[in-house]
Amino acid sequence: MRLPPFEVLEPATLKNALSMLEKHKGKVKIVAGGTEIVGLMKLGLSVPPYILSLRKIKNLQGIKESKGQIIIRSNTTLREIIESSLINDLFKGISQAANLVAAPPIQNRATIGGNIFQNSRCMYYNQSELFRNGLKPCYKAGGVMCRAVKGGNRCFSVYQSDMAPALISFNAKAKLEKSDSSRTILISDLFTGKGENPHSIGENELLTDIIIPIPKGQYSSAYEKLRIRKSLEYPLMSSAVFVSGNMNGEVIDARIVLGAAGSSPKIIDKASKVLKGKKPSNKDIEAASGAVLQFVEVADNLPVPASYRRKMAVIYTKRAIQKALKDLRKDR
Amino acid sequence: MKKITLTLKINDEKYEIITYPNRTLLEILRDDLLLTGTKESCGEGACGACTVLLDGLPVRSCLLLVTEAKDCEITTIEGLAKGEKLDPVQESFIEHHAIQCGFCSPGMILTARSLLNHNPAPTEEEIRFAISGNVCRCTGYAKIVEAIQALSNRGRE
Repeated sequence: MRLPPFEVLEPATLKNALSMLEKHKGKVKIVAGGTEIVGLMKLGLSVPPYILSLRKIKNLQGIKESKGQIIIRSNTTLREIIESSLINDLFKGISQAANLVAAPPIQNRATIGGNIFQNSRCMYYNQSELFRNGLKPCYKAGGVMCRAVKGGNRCFSVYQSDMAPALISFNAKAKLEKSDSSRTILISDLFTGKGENPHSIGENELLTDIIIPIPKGQYSSAYEKLRIRKSLEYPLMSSAVFVSGNMNGEVIDARIVLGAAGSSPKIIDKASKVLKGKKPSNKDIEAASGAVLQFVEVADNLPVPASYRRKMAVIYTKRAIQKALKDLRKDR
Repeated sequence: MKKITLTLKINDEKYEIITYPNRTLLEILRDDLLLTGTKESCGEGACGACTVLLDGLPVRSCLLLVTEAKDCEITTIEGLAKGEKLDPVQESFIEHHAIQCGFCSPGMILTARSLLNHNPAPTEEEIRFAISGNVCRCTGYAKIVEAIQALSNRGRE
């Protein structure tokens, strides 16, 4: 599979990168780790005239603590995150999510920024040009039909990042910079909810930092992921859970975020409410995980049936809640 | 599309290359430099046959734009043996019958080499995790794990 033609931009500073993004607005794709974009280009699903490499921008990598929060620079590899004792100690769920992304050779290259900005997928869309040309274009390919859902009036492609749900469970923020300004928003606000175009970032903006506030008091987290085999797979369904409380297991705050349950990560407030303010019994955990079901928007467009993924949303949420609560009770 | 000139450092040798920028490291290794020890299989990052070491870590050369490999130390299977003397990982793979068709072997051996460099005495679980990105359709993995374990045990003695 050959790549389409493009020019490579290799800015040495962030300032240069931002002015190049401005200059070639709408015509540039960013290569951070490159593990997704190269595959998309090979399939002809992304044909940018320019690609902008972050390789030379040295200070766009690293993890540091500052004023009660941890800042992960966007071009930090997943391997660095997995090996960071800071992340593992403070944000177990995020560490677990990074460890479950694909397999080590991908983790060595893939970056946190790239993982968040991966496109949504569908087994009718992520195919060769030959396959796609045999059928009418779907919503994601600029057409007006969905191949996965007969009569579907929107795109049902699935956003399959492992990192985004885990980061959202910690209320993490994203710093987006452009040549003349910057803004910091919640990572959950980076998503449109639309399969055709799942992210709301501007074409001249670059994600530079992930900012994770360190929660106060006693807290824990967990990430559970459904996949057919134990490596190299995107989540077919996943659940990230954050809980804070005391050592008796009484929950003060909770956040439950589903991954691969639609075209964006889903914060399930209804499930969190069930856990808050009490020492959750098995029945409460069942009720909280059961509450996620009505928010799962899945279609038969991944290698396992939607009906199975729907059931697994409940099971994997239950496992993540149990794991997080067990950890909360541990003597620290 | 304009051609570009770049230098790659592969197996401790420098190569001057003039090419179009839309090439992967795998294409350059195999088609331009005839370093065909690195295999192309799925071409989409799923199988691990194209694994090379980039600054000592296993990566997919089929998903690596050649321009991204500049200024890095690249190791392919051709660079592992020292002349006629095979690397201990290669010897162990042969001794333990961890090679059948051989297509996954370059990637598998480089992955094992990198693991042992970073962790001289890995557990079976660590070995299985390290090679989880490399698909082998013949051996069933047991022999490969044994071959790596043998070196791990040797490291402990």
